[in-house]
Amino acid sequence: MTKRVAIVGIGTTGFRATTPDVSYRELTYEAATKAYVDAGIEPKDVDSFVSTAEDFFEGYSIADEYSPDQLGAVLKPIYTVPGDFIQSLASAYMMILSGIGDISVVQGLSKASNMLSLSEMTTFAMDPIYNRPLKESPHAVAGMEMARFMHESGATREQCAKVVVKNKRNALDNPLAGHGVLIDSDYVLNSEVISFPLTQMDISPHSDGAVVVVLAEEKTAKTLSDKPIWIRGIGWCSDTPGLETRNWGEAIYAQMAAEMSYKMAGIRHPRSEIDFAEINDEFSYKELQHLEAMRICRKKEAGPLTETGGTEITGEFPVNPSGGCLGVGNLYELNGGHKVLEVVRQLRGEAGKNQLKDITTGLAQGWRGVPTATGAVAILSN
Amino acid sequence: MALIERYQKTTDISYWEGQIPMSYIYTVGRAGEKFFREMMNGRIFGAKCESCDVTYVPPRTYCEKCFARLEDHYADVGGKGTVHTFTECHEAYDGTKKQKPSIVAMIRIEGTQGGIVHWLGETHFKDVYIGMSVEAVFKAKKDREGGILDIKYFRPIK
Repeated sequence: MTKRVAIVGIGTTGFRATTPDVSYRELTYEAATKAYVDAGIEPKDVDSFVSTAEDFFEGYSIADEYSPDQLGAVLKPIYTVPGDFIQSLASAYMMILSGIGDISVVQGLSKASNMLSLSEMTTFAMDPIYNRPLKESPHAVAGMEMARFMHESGATREQCAKVVVKNKRNALDNPLAGHGVLIDSDYVLNSEVISFPLTQMDISPHSDGAVVVVLAEEKTAKTLSDKPIWIRGIGWCSDTPGLETRNWGEAIYAQMAAEMSYKMAGIRHPRSEIDFAEINDEFSYKELQHLEAMRICRKKEAGPLTETGGTEITGEFPVNPSGGCLGVGNLYELNGGHKVLEVVRQLRGEAGKNQLKDITTGLAQGWRGVPTATGAVAILSN
Repeated sequence: MALIERYQKTTDISYWEGQIPMSYIYTVGRAGEKFFREMMNGRIFGAKCESCDVTYVPPRTYCEKCFARLEDHYADVGGKGTVHTFTECHEAYDGTKKQKPSIVAMIRIEGTQGGIVHWLGETHFKDVYIGMSVEAVFKAKKDREGGILDIKYFRPIK
């Protein structure tokens, strides 16, 4: 039988638009300290570490070399995953399954406020020969994807706007979130058009913060924690980076990542076997597109489900009760880490005013943002 | 600082500014070489995988589905296609507001599973729709340099 692995410690700084008072290393140090206290361990007890970093986002060549100190990982097994935090989580999970150790740690960070040329950096993610010569913003890719998704699914701009209203309102009751606000759909629809149909309010504003998660093998987990949160399934997948050949209407990467995690967790009917989800909503329409891709609702159903309140905290399937990327902020490679953190807080009953009742299983999903087509999914249970 | 005063700007606190000067060249590869040489002649080329019945535009030397080698399977795919999706973009690549928005579209080249992301011209945003038939408009032959901008834009087929 495969070993069972649980999350036994979480730590975070919370998420704010700017963090001028601390360095990126101090952000990680704060999250790490809290995670180790939460798990009741010290860095010396950890067998292996996985950090998450993307050189251009960090502002270093070979940024991973700067990971060990603030995690307590100097002269320990550590490497960096240049992907979504949930891909790092998968890596740390596999380290325990493969017997490298009983305790592993995952770290992720966003110091987006340090990036002065953020737009140019994301433009540099596009193909240099076929796409970059047009000198168009990556938001044009999001605008085109939104248009195609709406065309295929029948979702409306109003339904996308509802996602923004819901998530930003949820964030108001989440002390970790930095972008909570009470607005109505008209405010979203009338905000500045960035790349039609995408408006300014459909786009997650960026945030800074760090998350550290401690994983342990079953026996260790049960001695360390009263409330271990079990990793029941995990999956990840990449579609082609080619804008010319990829699927624009459906998030196939999310579908395949979810199916991989469902298979591992033995889930056949995600809507009834999962209680809630924290999924990537970096742009409003992505929440709807990801819901359909992951079979949480049928094709063409995400818009109406959102419109009728089905994804509210009080709805039949709450989505992003934390406030999501729209309410918490775009954390880049840490986005999946924030989702995992919030699912764990919910399953432990520590989500405060946004606490859901009678829940046993939650889904956390990450996407690496435009122009990527990479996603990862984790199924967690208490 | 008095009790009621707060730092309000990040730059009021110590920070250190740094730049990473980066310059690269990107070799176009063998498939790219074929694509751009033909483009200078006003033609769009793809690469066909016979076993998967898939034609890639821009062409590649390999099939992403069956991993077959496609190097000798180039084909002229014509200059016509349909608008697969489109947007009117008001933001420049550096995040500033454009003086004049552009219409950007993913154009599915007829008879292929690939396409070209490019501008739409000789039309208005409100008149564009998904499924609209369009054709490539090339720069004058003397101005072509062997790049994606040898196509000026795509325009509706009247």
